[in-house]
Amino acid sequence: MTFHLGYGTNGFANHRLDDALAVIADLGYTGVALTLDHHHLDPFADDIGDQVDRVAARVDQLGLRVVIETGARYLLDSRRKHHPTLVSEDQERRIDFLVRAARIATDLGADCVSFWSGIGPAQTWPRLRDGVAELLDRTDNVLFGLEPEPGMLVETLDDALRLREELGRPDRLRITLDVGHCVAVEPVDAAECVRRAGDLLVNVQLDDMLPGVHEHLEFGDGALDLPATLAALDEIGYTGLAAVELPRHSHAAPDVAKRSIDALRAALPGSTVEHPWLLAAERSVRSTPDSIRRLFPAVGREVGRESDDVARTRLLVAYAAVVEADGLGQELTALYRYGDDGERRGVLHALGEVGELAPDAGVEIVKDALRTNDTSLVAAALGPFAADHLDQHAWRHGVLKCLFTSIPLAAVAGLDRRVDAELLRMVAAFADERRAAGRAVPDDAVDLLRSHS
Amino acid sequence: MRIFDPHIHMTSRTTDDYEAMYAVGVRAIVEPAFWLGQPRTSVGSFVDYFDALIGWERFRAAQFGIKHHCTIALNPKEANDPRCAEVLDLLPRYLAKDGVVAVGEIGYDSMTPEEDHAFSAQLQLAIEHGLPALVHTPHRDKASGTQRTLDIVADSGLPAERVAVDHLNELTVRVVKESGSWMGFSVYPDTKMDETRMVAILKEYGTERVLVNSAADWGRSDPLKTHKTGLAMLEAGFAESDVDKVLWQNPVEFYGQSGRLILDDLAADAETFQGNSVLRGERA
Repeated sequence: MTFHLGYGTNGFANHRLDDALAVIADLGYTGVALTLDHHHLDPFADDIGDQVDRVAARVDQLGLRVVIETGARYLLDSRRKHHPTLVSEDQERRIDFLVRAARIATDLGADCVSFWSGIGPAQTWPRLRDGVAELLDRTDNVLFGLEPEPGMLVETLDDALRLREELGRPDRLRITLDVGHCVAVEPVDAAECVRRAGDLLVNVQLDDMLPGVHEHLEFGDGALDLPATLAALDEIGYTGLAAVELPRHSHAAPDVAKRSIDALRAALPGSTVEHPWLLAAERSVRSTPDSIRRLFPAVGREVGRESDDVARTRLLVAYAAVVEADGLGQELTALYRYGDDGERRGVLHALGEVGELAPDAGVEIVKDALRTNDTSLVAAALGPFAADHLDQHAWRHGVLKCLFTSIPLAAVAGLDRRVDAELLRMVAAFADERRAAGRAVPDDAVDLLRSHS
Repeated sequence: MRIFDPHIHMTSRTTDDYEAMYAVGVRAIVEPAFWLGQPRTSVGSFVDYFDALIGWERFRAAQFGIKHHCTIALNPKEANDPRCAEVLDLLPRYLAKDGVVAVGEIGYDSMTPEEDHAFSAQLQLAIEHGLPALVHTPHRDKASGTQRTLDIVADSGLPAERVAVDHLNELTVRVVKESGSWMGFSVYPDTKMDETRMVAILKEYGTERVLVNSAADWGRSDPLKTHKTGLAMLEAGFAESDVDKVLWQNPVEFYGQSGRLILDDLAADAETFQGNSVLRGERA
């Protein structure tokens, strides 16, 4: 996979931004589409500079890639949704907002600022065009992604490309594509739209939709061919962010985000889900549980070393479904004890799925891994299972060990939830020690301290 | 020059060695299980050693951009110690692992009945696990030990081309070549073989089925001997393609018979090994 999977914060409208970022990162997303809104990094707030600084540290620390979205509903006008837009007579307020968004994007190191045209009659096209030209004039360096939006003046990919053409193909004006919109209004399917946008693609929104109906749906509830769409992104070598866009699902955001990443992983090119060896191995484990001892070591060479962790988790999930909790604990311990580095890492990853069924065994395994000096094991040990079950003292030392051994803190699940004053004290002391020695303090340490100052 | 050292005991070497090896082109190695300078007194001591070979040493090597593989066995010297012999029962667990590319080092040290038993039993393990065998030839009474080795291999049913007979010299190379097995040479600072003699052997016997290793360990030895042999070959008029065959293609072909070599992402690793590869994509 060449691109990053993310989630849109407009689908977390009932969460504080910090919390939303933590939930998104913990689920394994590696990016976030951040919609600037009155409660999420309000660009009109007096202390927006400080806020941006803090969020920059947070996303760094969580390892999240960022795009800035500007589709907030009532940010500029508390009575009229989305108003004013680039086709409105008072488009100046929209342009001013987009210029502010560009500044924030720069400070956050975001890929781009995404925007749409607005709803208006055909004769407002020249105003739209002039507005975009002014926007480009008033900003430097920041890339903009123009998003075709059903019902708006720029409704289809062709419309967006035409506007770009009329402006003389400015390099900084690129395309945002919502693949659900493609299902709803485009003459060709989403995969084809992806290929047509090609190198101009700077931002992708992922959701399902039904033809002719502009309603953002979870994957599987509409007519989108998700595997083909993701394969097309891979095919064109897209390297940016593809973020789930479900703005009307905030009421159940964590669950929806979990279901979404599961669906995305299953649909990704080269997904292990349908690997014939793995399917046969799962059947074998269900009918003869002990066969996991023979199958577990062979996963790397059979399924491929880029997806061995996922495949080993699948085997352990199958195993956990057919044995008692005691048996699961013993087998986890044995697979870890007699495993090579890859198998041990596989067990540690799988704890995130099956560990809560055998927490005592799981904690001992995590503690063993944290005693090693193999950074891949230490990183894998601090996943979601450790976030839920490891005692605070051991967990703090695990986090500090990451900083010592240059493991990015993005490896630490639930960091935000579990960070406490004692950990911050330890990290601050570590930073002091580094400075006293004339050595660099890891960025992650600085970010952690900054984001909790 | 890209180099695959088919026999080197990195457990006994420093990180300076890893850096120096990478600098001259070593990108992959095989570390055979063998004896340490200090005799082991229990099976548990083997278990920790084997665990290091399939985990910790692999990690250490990866930090320096080198793919580490190993062979697993009860070595001939300690096959004579009744406190260690039971390790034979634990071997199947390790022979199932990725990166375990042969059964070895097996063979003879003093040619005792205990060594006969361990050698034959482990050749059978190689057959059962679809692995080649790396066979150590004795330092004392080498010529007769080598012949006896070949007889045992022939009786075992393990095909000759799946066997490498190691530590050969001018007097033992011919009989191994004629047997159809692979010929291993350990190039040392002053004992088994040196690079000048190695080049002479390559001139006389050709590059087919020849494996050149440093066998560097806890004794006086040089982990760069593979590279020095490559330079000596070039100086003696061998083509770069000959050097690549001996120092890369041959070990890949021999150990590749296991299906367990981990060279798939070698190119990518060479670019990024010093970068941050700890986070393997998304967390599962």
